[in-house]
Amino acid sequence: MAKVELSEETKAGIEEVREADLLIAVAVPVDTEQLRTAATEAILGTGQSISELRTVVAFPGSTGVDAPMQAKTDLESGEKPGLRFVPYALPAASPERIPWLPVASTYQTLFAMARELGVSACAVIGFDLAALQTNFLAPMMTAVLEKGCDLVMPVYALGKFDGLLNSSIYAPLTRALYGRRVRFPLAPDFCLSSKMIPELELALQRANAQGQSTFWAATEAAIRDRTICQVNVETRHIPPADGVDLTTVLSQTVGSLYADMTTHAALWQRVRGSQPVETLSVPVAPPADGAAADTTPMVETFQLGFRNLQEVWSLVLPPVTLLELKRLARPGTSRFHLPDELWVRIIYDFALAYRLRTISRTHLLGALTPLYLGWVASYALEVGNASPAEAEQRLEKLARAYEEGKPYLLSRWRWPDRFNP
Amino acid sequence: MWSQVSQSLHESMARVISRIATLLPGILAFILAVLFFAAIAWVLAWLVRTFLNAIRFDERLARGTNAIAEWSPTYTPTTLITRVVFWCIVLVGFLVGLEAFGASSDNLLSARLLGYIPNVVGAVVLLILGNVIARFLSRSVLIGAVNMNLHYARLLSLGIKWLVLVLTAAMVLDHLSIGAAIVDLAFGILFGGIVFALALAVGLGSRDLVSRSLEREAARPAGETMPEEQFRHF
Repeated sequence: MAKVELSEETKAGIEEVREADLLIAVAVPVDTEQLRTAATEAILGTGQSISELRTVVAFPGSTGVDAPMQAKTDLESGEKPGLRFVPYALPAASPERIPWLPVASTYQTLFAMARELGVSACAVIGFDLAALQTNFLAPMMTAVLEKGCDLVMPVYALGKFDGLLNSSIYAPLTRALYGRRVRFPLAPDFCLSSKMIPELELALQRANAQGQSTFWAATEAAIRDRTICQVNVETRHIPPADGVDLTTVLSQTVGSLYADMTTHAALWQRVRGSQPVETLSVPVAPPADGAAADTTPMVETFQLGFRNLQEVWSLVLPPVTLLELKRLARPGTSRFHLPDELWVRIIYDFALAYRLRTISRTHLLGALTPLYLGWVASYALEVGNASPAEAEQRLEKLARAYEEGKPYLLSRWRWPDRFNP
Repeated sequence: MWSQVSQSLHESMARVISRIATLLPGILAFILAVLFFAAIAWVLAWLVRTFLNAIRFDERLARGTNAIAEWSPTYTPTTLITRVVFWCIVLVGFLVGLEAFGASSDNLLSARLLGYIPNVVGAVVLLILGNVIARFLSRSVLIGAVNMNLHYARLLSLGIKWLVLVLTAAMVLDHLSIGAAIVDLAFGILFGGIVFALALAVGLGSRDLVSRSLEREAARPAGETMPEEQFRHF
């Protein structure tokens, strides 16, 4: 398989730098001035052991021919002489893509740069510059350089109602499948050791060949039995309110998770239970919760979905699940509660339908949105008055339900034609 | 008299048998042509499948747009192309067989029927495509409308489905040269009627909804959080 080809500007930048110890790989378009300030301050704030290392910041340059080099010159007027900036061309992404989620080909370019520079550790900065503007770099890099971790994932301090797709699907599903309890498996910021770089490059080549654009670094580390660590960080990413709609985010991320499931089916079928991942540094207090959440619109969307999408759901879900959903969608239900076991079976049945292409995958993932909103409503009603710690315990219970439901997934995956009432 | 009846029966019998005998070579030629082309189709389909598998066609296609998989989720692009190649060649064999059959018979009716067969084939293809497109679009609209919390999601979906089906039916009839101007006129009236009915249904049905929504927006104090923003999904 062909390796990624770096642009002339990037090659020139790498040749000029020759080699480095650390690479700070910025994977999303950012303001160059803000980047210069944030990167310099972040490196100066890491402490002597890291700030003395030769560090390169890879950042997406402008698309014009001369623009990247110009940006590089501007950036190098920074305060720290050891810090070098090398631009790279951000691969063209489909306009339908989530703008703040880097595509696999971006990671491919960044890891190729890390390989060429021969760095010991690479910190990927996604979404925005929030990671560089908070206490992120020092503990993450320390975990790689001093603790010997191959992949370090952040643990963001989120509120009860933040990162709900992660809490309801990404984290518990990857934990049940690959047996590692990573709290944020699709975190936009992470650090990795030099050992991981060639392995992830191979994984990215495969992902690109299969047309997958979302990259799950934690999954790749778990299936290779690499040392994964977690670090509590203060970083918070706030997605723009007028950005991509929920269905698009859900379709792209859950779709790629299901695609990964299909690719790694032989591996995850052998995994039983899950192992905790070492978490370094002290937990960061989550932000204070706002007013009580209004779940009525989400319950209404769920009920509307049940009234209209039964013909689609019946192609994917077994009759007993549909019966339980019917009971739940009945108007006037005093307490809206979607049991964990039911939610887990829904996610597993959708995974199977994705694999079997029971219906168009776009339709399949679109039809999951009302069910997901039903789960969010149920969760919000349950943890509305709970403390963050209690909410975390509630999510742990959900994750265990995913693990306990795995035999159901295995059975459906291996014998999809078997009678399933 | 009985001898005349018997003679008449014998003569008609002989005519029918001689007629069948004259048709037999044509029927045989038809069967042979279909079988021969089916064999060629099978070999070519196998070659196409082997070639597409060798160049990893499905994987390459998945890198770009995945439109084929979306429209036909149960079949891989390779299977679809292989089947299209197979059935196209079988169809050619069928037409060659019919031509051979027609050449062996000098009947005017059979000649006209043979000339009409391409129209029938085209109409069948149009009908199948129209149904697939109608089903896909109606499901897309239904799911999209539900996710946008539109209470008339089913109505919209049905409207789209019938628009496409009516359009397909008009195209099929036009292709079969049935009805001519009446079909055009009826299609125009029906199509316009559906669009008008949908516009009225959506417009009148959501008038109150829009005004209430605008009133709420105007009355909301600055800085107040929308209920949806209390939840961050990503």
